[in-house]
Amino acid sequence: MTLTRPRSSRLLPWRNGHEPSADGPPDGLDSRRTVLVLSDVTKTYPNGRDALKDVDLVVPEGDFVFLVGASGAGKSTLIRLLIRDELPTRGTVTLDGDDLARLPRRRVPHVRRKVGIVFQDFKLLPRKNVRENVAFALEVTGTPRRKIRPAVDRVLALVGLTGQAEQYPHQLSGGEQQRTAIARALVHDPRIVIADEPTGNLDPLISWEILQLLLRINELGVTVMMATHDADIVTALRRRVVALEDGRVIRDEVGGGYHRAG
Amino acid sequence: MIGFLLFSLSRAWQGFWRNAAMSLAATATMTLMLMLLAGFWIIQAGLLASIQFVEERVEVVADLYDGTTTAQVSAITARLNEMPEVREVVYVSKDEALARYREQREAQGEDDLTQYLDSNPLPASLEVSLRDAEDYAAVTEALTLEPRVEKVKNIADTADRLVTLTNVLSTAGVALLLVIGAIVLFIVINTIRLAVLGRAEEIEVMRLVGASDAFIRWPFVFEGAMVGLAGAVITLGVLAAATDPLSRFMYEFFEILPIHVGSISRDVTLLVFGAGTGLGVLGAWVSVRTYLIR
Repeated sequence: MTLTRPRSSRLLPWRNGHEPSADGPPDGLDSRRTVLVLSDVTKTYPNGRDALKDVDLVVPEGDFVFLVGASGAGKSTLIRLLIRDELPTRGTVTLDGDDLARLPRRRVPHVRRKVGIVFQDFKLLPRKNVRENVAFALEVTGTPRRKIRPAVDRVLALVGLTGQAEQYPHQLSGGEQQRTAIARALVHDPRIVIADEPTGNLDPLISWEILQLLLRINELGVTVMMATHDADIVTALRRRVVALEDGRVIRDEVGGGYHRAG
Repeated sequence: MIGFLLFSLSRAWQGFWRNAAMSLAATATMTLMLMLLAGFWIIQAGLLASIQFVEERVEVVADLYDGTTTAQVSAITARLNEMPEVREVVYVSKDEALARYREQREAQGEDDLTQYLDSNPLPASLEVSLRDAEDYAAVTEALTLEPRVEKVKNIADTADRLVTLTNVLSTAGVALLLVIGAIVLFIVINTIRLAVLGRAEEIEVMRLVGASDAFIRWPFVFEGAMVGLAGAVITLGVLAAATDPLSRFMYEFFEILPIHVGSISRDVTLLVFGAGTGLGVLGAWVSVRTYLIR
C-alpha cells in the first residue's frame, strides 16, 4: 500500500507553494517521505531514570500510528521529545528533516507549528470562544489578520463545529471541546497530529466520534500519532501499533491489536 | 513589525482586563511600593535640603578694632573674596550692629540698655559665609592673621558637629534608600510573577502552537509596563493632591524650610515613572522567562 500525500495541502490550500523540503527516507526503510524518525533514542532524566531506551521509530507521511503502553511506559516522554520540550540524552529525533537537538532556539517555534498536538484535558482557554481558541494559534504566530478568518472557518467546518463557533468551552460537551482542540491543532496545517490520550476523558460513544474525526483527517493526508489506553479502539481499527514497555519499543506492527496477537 | 507591536499592545490590554482582579492587585501593590519609595525620597531630599539650608548659614564672624577705615575693610574683604572657600563677605558697621542689637532686645520684649550709654560699645564685624562648613578652619586662620581683626569667634565645635551630622545623614539616607529599593524590587517582581503565573495555561498553549519567544514575552512585558505606569500615575496623583496641604502644614509648623518644591517634584516624578515602568517591565521579563524555550 503506497499512500502518497499530494505535495499540496488539501486542508489549507492557501499554504500551497510553501512546502518545506525535507530529506528523503533513510535507505531501505520506506519509499514514502518520512515525517518523523527516532534513531537509537535514549532519554535519561536527571534522577537517573531511563524513560526511553534505544528507541528506533520511523513514521512515513500519511501513517496512522497508535502508541500504546501502560502509564510510565514512556509515551509522554516520547511526545515531549517530538515537540522538543525535552532533548534526547542519546540518539536523534528528526522531524520533517530537522534534527531537533541541533535546531537553533529561534527555529523551535517553527518546528512546533509542524506538529499539531491534542491533549486529554483539551487545554482550551476558558475565556475565549471556539473561534477565538482556534484563531489564537494563528494570532500568536504572527499570521496576518485577513488570513485567520478563512483558515479558522475551514478547520471548524472540517471538525463540524461551524454552528458552535461563538460558544465558550464551558457551554460545550466534552466531545465538542476535544473537536475544538483538534481544530486548533490543524489550523497550522501541521505535518503530523499528535494526540495524547484524546479520548481519555470521554465516554465510549464520543470517543468513537473523535476517532472517526482523526481518521478522516488522516485520510486527507495528515500523519496522525495517537497515544491511547483504549484497547477496544486499537484492536478494532487494525492500524499500525507501536507498543512501549519500560521505555523500550516491544512491538511495532501493522494491523496489530492492543495486546500481542496470540 | 508594526503588526507585531499592535498585536502585543492589544494582547497586553486584553490580558490586563481579562484578569482584572489580579491586575488591579498588582497595580495596587505597585502604587503602595512607589509611594513608599517616593515618600522616602521626599523625606531624604527634604532633610538634605534643610541641612544645606543650615550649612549655608555657617559663618565665621570676626570683630574689627574700632577705627578701622573703610579702605582697610575693603582690602580685607577683597583678600577674603579671593579665597575659594568664601561664599560671601558682609561688613556690619558699628551702627548696624547696634541697630541689630536693639531690634533683638525689642523682639524679646526687653529694655534697650544701650540707650543709657554715651557711645556704641559694639564692634564692627565681618561676617564671612562659607561654601562648605568644613572649611571654617582655613578662613578662621586667615582672619586671625589680619592685623585689624580683634578676635575671631570660635565656631569649631558647631561646625564639626554639623559636618558629622551631614555625613551621617546622607550616608544613612542613601543606604536606607537602597534597602527600600531592594524590598520594593522583590515585592513588585513577585506580584507580577503571580499575575503571570495565573496565566500559565495560556502561555503553555502559546508555546505548544509554536508562538515565538517574542510573541509570548512582549505582551506580558507591555502589561507589566501598564501596571507600572498606572501605579506611577496614581502615586503622582496622590502626591500632587497631598503636596499643598502638606507643605502648608510644614510651613506653619516649622516656620522655616523654604525647600525648593520645584526640583524635588521633578526628581520624584522622574523617579516614580522610571521605577514604576522599569519594575513592571523587569518583573514581567523575569517572570515570563521561566516559560520560554529551555
